[in-house]
Amino acid sequence: MTSLAQWIVSIDAGGTFTDAIAHANDGRTLVTKTASTPDDPSRGLTNAVAELAAQGMDLDEVKLVCHGTTVATNATLTGNLARVALITTRGFRDVMAYRQGSRPQVYSLKPERPNELVERHARFEVNERIASNGSVVTALQQADIDAVLEKIEALAPEAIAVSLLFSYLNPVHEDMLLAALAQRFPHTPVTISSQVAREFREYPRTATTVINAALRPVVGDYLERAAGSLASGGVLAPFQVMQSNGGCVPAGRAAGQAHRLILSGPAGGVSGLLRGAAEHGLPNVISLDMGGTSVDVCLVRGSQAPYTSRQEVQDHTLIAPTVDIHTIGAGGGSIAWVDRTKRLRVGPQSAKAVPGPASYGRGGTAATLTDAHVVLGTLGSGALAGDLRLDYAAAEKAVRDIGDQLGMGVIEAAEAILAIAMAHMVRAVRKVSVERGLDPREFSLFPFGGAGPLHAGLLLRHLGLSSVVVPHQPGLYSADGLLAAGLRIDDSQTLLRPFGADALPPISGWLAERRDELVRQVIEDGAAPGSVQASVTVDCRYLGQGYELSVPLDGTSVQDLELIAERFHPLHRELYGHSSEQETVEIVTVRLAVTGGFDRVAQPARVAGTMGPADAAIVGRRTVHLPGTGERSTTIYDRTKLQPGNTLAGPAIIQQMDATTVMLAGQSGRVTANGDIIITEDN
Amino acid sequence: MTTLTEHSATAREPEVDTVTFEVLSSALTSIAEEMGVVLKRSSYSPIIRDMDDFSCALFTADGDLVAQADYIPAQLGAMSLVVKAIIERWDGRISDGDAFICNHPFLGAMHLPDVNVVTPIFVDGILSGWSGTAAHHIDVGGVNPGSEGPELEDIFAEGLILPPVRLSIAGVENPDVISIITDNIRDPLSTVSDLRAQRAACVLGYQRLNELAGQYGLAVVSSVMRRNLDVVELAVRNALLDLPDGEGEAEGFLDDDGLDGPPTRIHAKVSKVGDTLHIDLSGSSAQVRGAMNVPWASARAGIVYAVRAVVAPDLGSNDGLLRAVDINAPLGSVLNPMAPAAVSIRHNTCQRFADTLIRALTDIWPEAAVGSSTVSFFCMNVGSTSPVTGRPAVMADVVGGGTGATGEADGLDGVDTYMSNVGVMPAEVVETNYRIRILRNEFVPGSQGTGRFNGGLGLRREYEILEHPQRATFYAEQTKAGFAPTGASGGSSGQPTRITLISPDGTETMVKTKTSTTLQPGTIVRVETAGGGGFGPASERSEAARESDERNGLLAFP
Repeated sequence: MTSLAQWIVSIDAGGTFTDAIAHANDGRTLVTKTASTPDDPSRGLTNAVAELAAQGMDLDEVKLVCHGTTVATNATLTGNLARVALITTRGFRDVMAYRQGSRPQVYSLKPERPNELVERHARFEVNERIASNGSVVTALQQADIDAVLEKIEALAPEAIAVSLLFSYLNPVHEDMLLAALAQRFPHTPVTISSQVAREFREYPRTATTVINAALRPVVGDYLERAAGSLASGGVLAPFQVMQSNGGCVPAGRAAGQAHRLILSGPAGGVSGLLRGAAEHGLPNVISLDMGGTSVDVCLVRGSQAPYTSRQEVQDHTLIAPTVDIHTIGAGGGSIAWVDRTKRLRVGPQSAKAVPGPASYGRGGTAATLTDAHVVLGTLGSGALAGDLRLDYAAAEKAVRDIGDQLGMGVIEAAEAILAIAMAHMVRAVRKVSVERGLDPREFSLFPFGGAGPLHAGLLLRHLGLSSVVVPHQPGLYSADGLLAAGLRIDDSQTLLRPFGADALPPISGWLAERRDELVRQVIEDGAAPGSVQASVTVDCRYLGQGYELSVPLDGTSVQDLELIAERFHPLHRELYGHSSEQETVEIVTVRLAVTGGFDRVAQPARVAGTMGPADAAIVGRRTVHLPGTGERSTTIYDRTKLQPGNTLAGPAIIQQMDATTVMLAGQSGRVTANGDIIITEDN
Repeated sequence: MTTLTEHSATAREPEVDTVTFEVLSSALTSIAEEMGVVLKRSSYSPIIRDMDDFSCALFTADGDLVAQADYIPAQLGAMSLVVKAIIERWDGRISDGDAFICNHPFLGAMHLPDVNVVTPIFVDGILSGWSGTAAHHIDVGGVNPGSEGPELEDIFAEGLILPPVRLSIAGVENPDVISIITDNIRDPLSTVSDLRAQRAACVLGYQRLNELAGQYGLAVVSSVMRRNLDVVELAVRNALLDLPDGEGEAEGFLDDDGLDGPPTRIHAKVSKVGDTLHIDLSGSSAQVRGAMNVPWASARAGIVYAVRAVVAPDLGSNDGLLRAVDINAPLGSVLNPMAPAAVSIRHNTCQRFADTLIRALTDIWPEAAVGSSTVSFFCMNVGSTSPVTGRPAVMADVVGGGTGATGEADGLDGVDTYMSNVGVMPAEVVETNYRIRILRNEFVPGSQGTGRFNGGLGLRREYEILEHPQRATFYAEQTKAGFAPTGASGGSSGQPTRITLISPDGTETMVKTKTSTTLQPGTIVRVETAGGGGFGPASERSEAARESDERNGLLAFP
């Protein structure tokens, strides 16, 4: 009797479905897609694990659980946040309300008021001042601390945020308040700005502090319940949560970093993309994750995921290291409409899951991109995820109504809807490529999500990409990607010092000290010691400029830091078209990221397969219309019957439970060892 | 219809279908936006980078505005007058690789600090369009740091005037023009770097338009550029047709003439007949002695802004809109002055003009009426040296106020208003870059006009002068009670703006609306900006809203 198989599990709890995948070290892979349980997402987790157990996973032998969650995202979207009290420097209590001071809707005489995260009566001040060189101008007095504690006591908030001016240079007053608050309110989480964002500009730092405080109880409660339900279900393995930065953090430490979980869901897709790109030996790839309402696009160049240090969340700016994902409002549910000047538009309104596209037969009557596909024949009437069947007549009626408004036939109208949706997708991809000086012809595209692969062939052609890679299970790709991620901890410090020999030794000292601390932490969090890596980037600008560029360095030593200026100039020229080598470079903020890999007991299986045409997977033919190719009889394949090594010739449609892939005439597909399909143009 | 894959086919008379039009028209806007990103992120002037006081746009070969990135409405459509002035002066001598510079307020620019850099776009040797940028530089010389001064009486005192001249010739920077600039201004390093950033943005526009022409054919692209104007004109005319015909009228006053003179009157009489709007500005004051005059490009931007805000907020910005508007603005008026009128703080007048014109238009269509917003963006220019570099540094800071309440909600608190959308400079940025400490930046409870919905709150900001005496120019509007933002439908007016000077010994003096002076270390300048006008009778304010006002301490006026 051999020992039992060991398992690693990923669970991606989205708004509609909770996807889970389990890999065993004997080569088995189990998947499940269950309805999410928004009232208490931890039940969805329990259900998914129970389903995997029913399929044969031994709960005692689960060695790792990775989790992508939309709990933080939804809490911010719905305003289901903790009641926060905020303490600021005297004269600055309203900083969360005037924000950057500009209006988002410049032309509207009736603008919407921004979301207010802390009401004015819960914003308190203390009399203290730190100067712009970090020295104390006005020392914080005990009497002032006592007075503010009294006011907070009376308010009984669920969380407390403290953000004082220049605390990124000298946190002495924030530390004093933290100590006093923790003693007086031992059961209320307290966040101070110098712990979550040691960066300048008081508004975004305060917003980050407040959002962290407002999310801590919500995220903390959820993760506690989730860990509890996993444990009571018999899973005692380390429980890791995906962060917006594309790496995991142990659930026990995640609540303290709650504001860094807002992109937990989509970050799984990016980590899947990085793994997929590595498996296919592709350094330059773009992901296009298309669901019902939106498209997330992410460009990876030289095998490096792009990062940004800012994020916009519900009218507020958050300082959080985040995978740079460009999102547009275009999805399968995007609604087509005709504007006053008789121009056809698609989106950004979406029919969402309810009432859904007309063809879903759930009460939707507006024509959507999905309905256009039904009319064109790319989506056949067959079973989709969630026991859905598509109603051709309803789709045809909705699209015909659009055609009537434009004097077009129904097919022509469906083609036009698809063409405009394609233009949105093309623009989104160009935004992350061409607009950053990168040529899409040097990139391969990974379309996934329920609606991404439908546009695989069209995207390949319109963007002139080198290839398109349709993942094995496009609809479960974000869940699968979670298992490819490791752990990650970020840290940063604003310095604002002109680049020069004198400035470098103290910066090097700070970096080395923080690196050692973070390396210790990431190993404690579960990283395999040999896998730990630290990366350093320095945000720089010419002295006098207002925005920074991130310059990557090779290490933390003074010698590494000496390269800052000579790396900055060409970067500035590449991005902005000009540079001035004789100008002084200013070091604004230094950033440190420490990553580590999990000790993985299992990997997804690879199958040798069969070379040659995929005739065995053909399940039929039907007539399909596509913009630019006209009406064609098209071969329909069943994805589950495709074998690695199989080849397919376009035009072709490949159906599977979670997505439909469309290839154009003149394109060829090849199934790879991991079950992905690589599509290229024939010529 | 044609399809995406057939785009490369070009023809002499291109038939451009709806999809191609949609794709190209959004591509033109995204080019302007991309130019904006390059300029904003590489600029030195905080007015460009933090306050978005710049514009990027594409024009037809004739100089008509086709697409503009939405940053600041104050510059809407303005650049097309500059492009036309360049064409008029240089026609027949324009080469590929040239870049033109111009800040002349009587040749299409707005005031001297707004410097335009414009390049012709050649496609296969044919002049096919223009890409342009206008950006507010921190200083272009003249009497006062920041090149603004309410008390100045002619344009020559305000700074260096650049008529359309060549910043670069056939791709090479023109050293003669650069030298004239660097020797006439206070912070040449920042200014010249920002001019280079502007030119780099124009070159990007040039490249992107060439890429589009390569992909779709020049004839198709040119046709879409022209039709983009028709589409906006049609949309405005359709929107006007949907509204009832009628007449309206409104007036508003500026505190003075920039000096100690009488209030300046802004007046607009409007009528809408069929698909055309008629705007008569002849009731406004004649041009004034101080620097409050509005060059025609600025007044035109005000018209575009007000018409868009009232009639068609979702519209793109191009010159098609003005084809549906018939304007009477007599030369020699404060809204269309003659040289050598001083214009540097024309912005105050522009904001009052936008407010007045919106009230005149909503006099025709009362259901669109809202409370008035503050027009007083308080501005504080202070010359000093940088604590970091020791080089000359000019702080140009502005403070917004409350916007008017609407029939559905309270106004916005502490924002810039109407044609301007400038942010708050973070205290941490001010104190790092200038010898000034920001003691307070907070709302002024009680400054809001009241009503069923209240106007937005004004802001209080205090500047402490540190270390050494500093030359300052500061100015505001609406410091007189009668001129504060008015309410609508029975709502009350907001409180006026107040400026207080607190000397090092603690003595407080109210200062007049516009001042140029030297401030001693330890002096504090406190501004409290106006709150927005209320909407509807205060007796109709909901119980919940009253409780919230009370709880949040918004009722008291200190």
